Amino acid sequence: MKNKSILEIKNLDVEYSTLTDKVVALKDINITVEEGESLGIIGESGCGKSTLSYAIMDYLPSNGLSNGKILFKGENLLEKSPKEQTKYRGDRIAMVYQNPYSSLNPSLTIGFQLDEVTMFHRGFSRKEARNASIEALKDLYLGDAAGIVRRYPHQISGGMQQRICIAMALLCKPDLLILDEPTTALDVTTEVVILDIISELKKKYNMSLIYISHDIGVINKVSDRIAVMYRGEVVETGSQHTIYKHPEHPYTRALINCMPRSGIVKEEVRLNAIPGYVAKRSAAETGCPFVSRCEKKTLICQENYGLKESKANHFSSCSRAYAEDVPDKERTRLKIPLENNVKEENILSIKDLYKYYGGPGKKVRALDGVSVSLERNSVLGVVGESGCGKSTMGLTVSGLLKPTKGQLIFDGIDIAVSWRKRTPEILKNIQLIFQNPGRSLNPSFTIETIIGRPMKKLLGIKSKTERRKMVIDILKKVDLGEEYLSRKASQLSGGEMQRVALARAFSISPDLLVCDEPTSALDVSVQASVLNLLGELQQESKASYIFISHDLNVINYISDYIMVMYLGRICEYGRKDEVVGPPYHPYTEALISAVPDVDPDSAKQQIRLEGSPPNPTKKIKGCPFEGRCHKKIGKICETTAPPKVYFSDDHFVFCHLSPGKLGAK
Amino acid sequence: MNLFKRFSQRLGFMILTLVVMSFLIFLLVEIMPGDVAQTVLGQSATPESLAALRESMGLNDPLMVRYGHWAGKFIRGDLGESLYMRGIQINTIFWRKVGHSIILALTALIFYVPLSLFFGVFAGVKAGKLPDSIISFFGLATMALPEFVSGIILITLFAIKIPLLPITSIIPIGETLWENLNILILPALSITLVMFGYVSRMQRSSMLTVMNSDYIRAAILKGMPRGYVIFRHALKNALLPTITIIGMNMGWLFGGLIVVETLFGFPGLGSLTLSAIKTRDVPLLEASVLFITFIFVVSTFITDMMYLFLNPRIRFKGSDS
Repeated sequence: MKNKSILEIKNLDVEYSTLTDKVVALKDINITVEEGESLGIIGESGCGKSTLSYAIMDYLPSNGLSNGKILFKGENLLEKSPKEQTKYRGDRIAMVYQNPYSSLNPSLTIGFQLDEVTMFHRGFSRKEARNASIEALKDLYLGDAAGIVRRYPHQISGGMQQRICIAMALLCKPDLLILDEPTTALDVTTEVVILDIISELKKKYNMSLIYISHDIGVINKVSDRIAVMYRGEVVETGSQHTIYKHPEHPYTRALINCMPRSGIVKEEVRLNAIPGYVAKRSAAETGCPFVSRCEKKTLICQENYGLKESKANHFSSCSRAYAEDVPDKERTRLKIPLENNVKEENILSIKDLYKYYGGPGKKVRALDGVSVSLERNSVLGVVGESGCGKSTMGLTVSGLLKPTKGQLIFDGIDIAVSWRKRTPEILKNIQLIFQNPGRSLNPSFTIETIIGRPMKKLLGIKSKTERRKMVIDILKKVDLGEEYLSRKASQLSGGEMQRVALARAFSISPDLLVCDEPTSALDVSVQASVLNLLGELQQESKASYIFISHDLNVINYISDYIMVMYLGRICEYGRKDEVVGPPYHPYTEALISAVPDVDPDSAKQQIRLEGSPPNPTKKIKGCPFEGRCHKKIGKICETTAPPKVYFSDDHFVFCHLSPGKLGAK
Repeated sequence: MNLFKRFSQRLGFMILTLVVMSFLIFLLVEIMPGDVAQTVLGQSATPESLAALRESMGLNDPLMVRYGHWAGKFIRGDLGESLYMRGIQINTIFWRKVGHSIILALTALIFYVPLSLFFGVFAGVKAGKLPDSIISFFGLATMALPEFVSGIILITLFAIKIPLLPITSIIPIGETLWENLNILILPALSITLVMFGYVSRMQRSSMLTVMNSDYIRAAILKGMPRGYVIFRHALKNALLPTITIIGMNMGWLFGGLIVVETLFGFPGLGSLTLSAIKTRDVPLLEASVLFITFIFVVSTFITDMMYLFLNPRIRFKGSDS
């Protein structure tokens, strides 16, 4: 017996007309969402996921043209007048956006922004509306709801802002809720809580959901069915289990395989990168949208093709994911694991490092006594929630920030000073890579100038022809050709820009590279190739990395050692395999459990961390994690700083609990 | 608490700026070429009488002493004696002209602020459409015209072709401004023409930015009607940059209208300052310039406070949970 369908999209096309030509944003979309069903939409950026959600809301830019039918409970939304639209928007169909902070009006109180929804759609009085708003906030487990409504958006944390946006969307109990990457801007620990609440409320109100994300782990948690989008087309739909275990479209398979996930480490495999990037689609283009990046393509792919039902409820526009006439690429490992575990000498020793921001009275303790060493030829992964001090640590090592107290011993010299006071030799040997290459490369310089500049300044190579030869060599190493020499940074895609940033850093062969979230701004398929490249360059140059990321899967893939930070302090440090398995610090345990699993069948015990890290301006006597810890012992956690407990020579944890309680067998 | 701290901080800055500026004005007039005593007594004065006058005016004292003396008198409200019009206390003429200027400035404000805000918002909402193009063209055209050109056009239109208003803004002897309020209209209109393009363009672009923001999108997709979104959600945020522009021009409006006042013969602070420069009337010049500075500083202060009122992000900074 088939359920009643809430939303039916039939042959939807969306085109944007620009000054020069027409760009296809959506092509022939056919999607059905049934009552109480949740549909996950996955794809890289630029694949039309957001355009689809705005097309449903009939909110496209003025140069966007939509064609087709969007039937909501049998009525075509595209034929509604602006006045009729307001009856659907916010009432029957509601939306939650990626960035909660910018989606809330900064100059109006939260209560005002919530109240107006029911005042307009339900005709509530001011008082009734306020009561409804407070009820809705309680639904989302916001403790002090009556107090929150009086505040302004900037006065509360990101996780709470997103809960408010969700509460706002649910005020009128909509039939369909569209969530556009609602947790992408949040920490994993917050993400888990939000995802749980979403699934719970969906059941409670029997809503239909459309959940958009680039992360298949997140999609798995909340959807019954998954649609894979690529360049404006739905290329495959099916149940989450089918999509993960038996993908038919080569893009689906490639997308799943390029994601680093638990258990995948560089000692075993190289990540499966998809070459190239998501290009704009012109109206003239026909055939398979993935053909230019596909490994399994044949001559017939250029001809017309379409979505076919291969098995029950499984539609795919291609079935060559596992086609054997084109063999799979051989998977090689990135690093050969060392059998005898030879210890190398330390290249960097951080001793009791402190960094405070702000003046007296409002002192923010960004680094609160960090001591750690980094071996030559190894990768130290630094992981933690935002605000834990991981970026500050990278910036003090690179010299962009001067530490308040403590030592940084690099090659036997204390470099705990700002970069201005460092010798050119040290400047050359410590290089930095930033999260957003688009903002860290000067858009109006050519690639040759960008890469050549540190050679001229720090290596003192005056001859232009000599520099050019070296730049070409290094470009080759990052898989970019000679033709890039004269291009400007602004003409490159995100992945290419990050390669240039890598080339610039490696052009002067540093001993230490600080990578601050180098892949967070990239799409997963590009992230895979940049991670592979980072691994290769590390093996070849024998340089050490400090690799900072909020993504535990990425850290686990690339690192040799992992350091878990919380509120400016170390929670746990050790060899990768020692940190990700028990015994571990309760915070590490919570972080690992919070990472959404790519495999929908894996049943993982999840630990829900309530609240957010405490105010960093307060002086903490005990353990910084005590307020959120699920294994808190009692008074001792609040009053006494936890001891450093060694489980092996290079694995330690700061915790009061006995090793047995930390999961040791 | 935080509000009070910010208020007193701004107030302190305001006073500091005034002190520094008064010293600079004092120094500037000091190092200007030309001898005050010579100006007073004329070219034929004997060296003895010049020396005697310098002594009696305190011109031979050290710099800091003279500054202290001068500033002290100012604080007590004694603006000194005019040099050009000997024996006349500046106080007796100065405040009447300042009053005239303030009335003119307020009239101009009442004219141009609502007009430019309204059309700026309108153009921003209709961006890219015909009303936007008309408003933008008109704004650009009036902005490009200097006030003496637009003023002459206004005079020709409304005083000569259609004799509705007086050609000049002179107050007949024995009468006050209150009996001649119609003389304000033409000068205020020509100021409006200068400011309209400037302010409405600013308002248009900030409105455009706000209308494209995520929170306006969220408000529209919550099903709020368009007019409500514009006035309740967008306007408060879109006013912020425009307020800065209006505030920054307040000083010019209250004391810098030299061209407009000269053109219409309006007896205000601008024309008084101009005549002080022409007659090398140092005390009068110092009083005028210091007063204009004062207006500048006070209007900046008011702008800051308005900002605080409209922007909760500043108002409640640091009170995060």
